[in-house]
Amino acid sequence: MNGSQTLAGKRALVTGGRQGIGRAIVEAFIRQGAQAETCGRGAQPDNMPTPCIWHKLDVADPQAVNALAARSVPFDILVNNAGVQVEKTVTESSDADWDLVMGVNARGVFNMCRALLPAMKKGGSIINIGSISGKVADPSMALYNASKAFVHGLTRSIAIDHGPDIRCNAICPGWIETGMLDAGFDLADDPQRARQDALARHAARRFGRPEDVANLAVWLASDASSFATGQCYTIDGGLTAASPLNPGLF
Amino acid sequence: MMLAGKIAFVTGGTGGIGTAICERFEAEGATVIAADLADKGGAERFHHFDVTDEAGIIATFDQLANEHERLDILVNAAGIEIEETIENTTLEQWNRIFAINVTGMFLTSKYALPLLRKSSGASVINFGSYDGYIADPGLAAYCATKGAVHALTRAMACDHGPEGIRVNAICPGYVDTPMLQSFFEGEGSGGDGGTIETLQQAVRDVHPMRTYGTPQDIANLVNWLASDEARYAAGQLWVIDGGLSAQVQQMKL
Repeated sequence: MNGSQTLAGKRALVTGGRQGIGRAIVEAFIRQGAQAETCGRGAQPDNMPTPCIWHKLDVADPQAVNALAARSVPFDILVNNAGVQVEKTVTESSDADWDLVMGVNARGVFNMCRALLPAMKKGGSIINIGSISGKVADPSMALYNASKAFVHGLTRSIAIDHGPDIRCNAICPGWIETGMLDAGFDLADDPQRARQDALARHAARRFGRPEDVANLAVWLASDASSFATGQCYTIDGGLTAASPLNPGLF
Repeated sequence: MMLAGKIAFVTGGTGGIGTAICERFEAEGATVIAADLADKGGAERFHHFDVTDEAGIIATFDQLANEHERLDILVNAAGIEIEETIENTTLEQWNRIFAINVTGMFLTSKYALPLLRKSSGASVINFGSYDGYIADPGLAAYCATKGAVHALTRAMACDHGPEGIRVNAICPGYVDTPMLQSFFEGEGSGGDGGTIETLQQAVRDVHPMRTYGTPQDIANLVNWLASDEARYAAGQLWVIDGGLSAQVQQMKL
């Protein structure tokens, strides 16, 4: 075992590990010596990193989540990353949209925490993927924005109710290069111009990469962060530190 | 009238927002002292006041104590802006903006306290800014002073709430004042020397309400916080910005 691996000997479950941020977290956890398991609504993808156990799971389904918890060895680390977005305003959103977005993003996090938290080991760490959109609004993302604010609130509650045994924090990514980001730009009249404009609004002059989020997840999962709990940490390249009104971009 | 019989002291009282506050307070029945460096002619009761001059501040409140039995409302609206990054800000500029925006608020509030305690429901309203939360480019020292105002506001509210003094801060966004014009003309803003006329549509479009604020919009909230209707409002930072800071960023290009 490599002594420099910060998660050596820890067991981790990451929801939504098929691609994007979840996939990057799984890979980073494995590199840091954790035994990682992940899940998704579909079958195991062909190219998953190894060793990693795949569970076919819809986090929105409480029975399925409870069944997974019942057959699992207790985890040290739970990352609630699975999420969906629907690009609609309130008046455009259907009941099905509500069930999808709130089912996965809000109820899914609740289902996983309720089912897995009781068996988690002392010193365990829950990491929820929130969003800057839970703090400030993206246009035409009403249910998504609200679902992420739910995640932030639940994060604080778990930290308060289940400390000192379990820590719980949220990561609030900004614009990360994933399929979800492209879907956002597709809302613009001129997606290419919107992309250039958005880059100029980042102090880092780039969008985030899934690895950027995974690096923070590794720290929050490790014992190095043992005094960090109940917080929602933003990692967005400086985007939300700046005013949305930037005369230089008119 | 919401402020009938109340006595109010407004620093920066002849500035863009301060003037609107004094006018509104007077319309609501208050006795208003517009405290500022220069009398621009519009104020009913002008009092020469320099927030950086401790002796002058002490003398002012001594004089006020002789003329009035109490002070009900203190508005700390005096403030300046420096349109520079930290690299281009001199220590002298830095100290000057903190002396006015932060230390001036401290000194004015400190020496107003004895008179505020004599009110049956005193209200102090500090001027923070949405820049105390998120940054405008090329405005570093200003942003820092407003962050300090926000923390000072909470501290004052906690310390003096038990004495019956409410302390809140107003955090305006873009308001049509000489200071806004100056910001647009500043090199650091990236406004490219444009004027409010050439930039105003673009500025409006970034706001969810599709407009920027007027001094009267701000005075409306100051008036409410000063009034007894706000008797349970204390220690809070009241952002009023047409929705600007509720957004991540605009993508509707």
